[in-house]
Amino acid sequence: MGTALQKAAALIFSADRELLNILGTTARVSLSSSVIALLIGVPIGLWLGACRFRGRSAMIVLNRTLMGVPPVVCGLLFYLLFSGVGPFRHLKLLFTVKLMIIAQVALITPIVIGNMETYVADIAPALTETAKGLGFGPGKRFLLLLNECVYPIFSVYLLAFARAIAEVGAVSMVGGAIAWKTNVMTTAIMQYTNMGNFTLAIALGMILMALSLLVNVVLSLLQRRLSR
Amino acid sequence: MKRTVSLLLCLIMLLALCACGGQTAAPAAETTAPSAAPVEETAAQPEADALVVDTVILKEADDNMINTYSLLAVNPEAPFADADGNAVSDVALNTVGAEALINWLLSEEGEQAAANYGFDDYGEYLFYLKDDRPVSDAEIPQATEDTKLIRLSTTTSVNDSGLLGYLLPMFEEKYGYEVEVYSAGTGKAIANAKMGNADLILVHSKKQEEAFVEDGFSYVLEGMPSERLSYMYNYFVLCGPSDDPAGVKDAEDVLAAFRSIADGKYCFISRGDGSGTHTKELALWPEELGITAEPESFADYTDWYVSANAGMGACLVMAEQMHAYILTDKATFLTFVANDGVMA
Repeated sequence: MGTALQKAAALIFSADRELLNILGTTARVSLSSSVIALLIGVPIGLWLGACRFRGRSAMIVLNRTLMGVPPVVCGLLFYLLFSGVGPFRHLKLLFTVKLMIIAQVALITPIVIGNMETYVADIAPALTETAKGLGFGPGKRFLLLLNECVYPIFSVYLLAFARAIAEVGAVSMVGGAIAWKTNVMTTAIMQYTNMGNFTLAIALGMILMALSLLVNVVLSLLQRRLSR
Repeated sequence: MKRTVSLLLCLIMLLALCACGGQTAAPAAETTAPSAAPVEETAAQPEADALVVDTVILKEADDNMINTYSLLAVNPEAPFADADGNAVSDVALNTVGAEALINWLLSEEGEQAAANYGFDDYGEYLFYLKDDRPVSDAEIPQATEDTKLIRLSTTTSVNDSGLLGYLLPMFEEKYGYEVEVYSAGTGKAIANAKMGNADLILVHSKKQEEAFVEDGFSYVLEGMPSERLSYMYNYFVLCGPSDDPAGVKDAEDVLAAFRSIADGKYCFISRGDGSGTHTKELALWPEELGITAEPESFADYTDWYVSANAGMGACLVMAEQMHAYILTDKATFLTFVANDGVMA
């Protein structure tokens, strides 16, 4: 444990080029995928939570099923779709960061939708009443709803980000853990474990945890300030 | 009410912290665990510290354990098929790049570099060149925008030994190519190529390579004798606990050694992942046991035969923990021992 800590510190301070590359890729993948998932998921979640229409419950059930899709299954699906013999082979996306982001968006969006839907369904009836009383149209009603949801949106974003940065099944399938290109923290940890190099794996794990802590602290502060 | 809730929360967090601490401490404990067992028999050297790895090489350099690495270029005209078995004809491959890399690896410069690898780090050579290896003196074209990216699918043992990290930069710098290395067990590495995701493969499982060629997934490069370009080799080694309860060290050859492990039902860790190492191990068991890659075949032996389905390093750690025998490539074993010294 002590050596792992020392090694982690030494790794960070040595500014090892490969480590920086892995960190960069990790940041790129998990930040973009969680932001994209948020942009797609929040409006859909609001819509599912606030509006009543035919097939709504079916959609919610479907979404809850998607929330539980194992990352490796998602990864396998995208691997097959974008593989050299798959239907989307001409896009040449397999083993690229782009496809890792796409796979993670597919994985995370249902989680964002589900969480938003749960929250909104709770507060929507009262809000709709108020909006009706004030004579708001659907556009303004949506904004009012969004305004009420600042706090949960941050929480949901943190959840999405946590899922993205911690996830290994999908990114290792579609990314291939290629050094200097698609290797992220989690796949690197897996690689080092497979090689029997536990110290480095633990060191990387610690860095990953520290990163996650940093993002959480920053966003939580922002959340408190904005939703006050 | 609020107070009890917050108290409860604190308690849960404390518990979680303890759990985390236990988990992260576990790998550290692994290094001390091996020292516990040898204590009884190493009474003569009481200050045997935690650095000692108990797993040692027991059998090596046996002709049955020769481990040959082959290069195969992926044929762009191969009968590629998608997951449903429908034929796919227009798979994009970088044959120019693949041929350039193969020609370089088989050139005087590439071969010498591979042969010299490992001496500086481990004090011994990790790969040897075959006497009847194909040699190339073909002109290697500089990379162009279209041929720049080469996708190499290979086995973990080649990648983990650090050989490619040592060889490829020389090639890349000289000719301007960029080689992407996808590493997995031989079975998966070949499957990846069959899905059209690799331009060439570097693997070590004769049976699977021959099947690959037979299915039409490879072709003969200009000036080369065959599709399978076997050019370097090393030896698998049979490792086990230093007190060697099965008496493997004194066995006549490796086949006898495997027989005595099976007869005595001494714990054996199998990769179990369709890798080249796994394939080799399957060929070494006495035939009447009938151990194959199928899980049913070793269902009766689960009290001593452990199919780990993990990478070489992870399996070595397992063998160390369980005082088990294991077949491994030498390069990964040496890395494992070297790393273990740093771990404690």
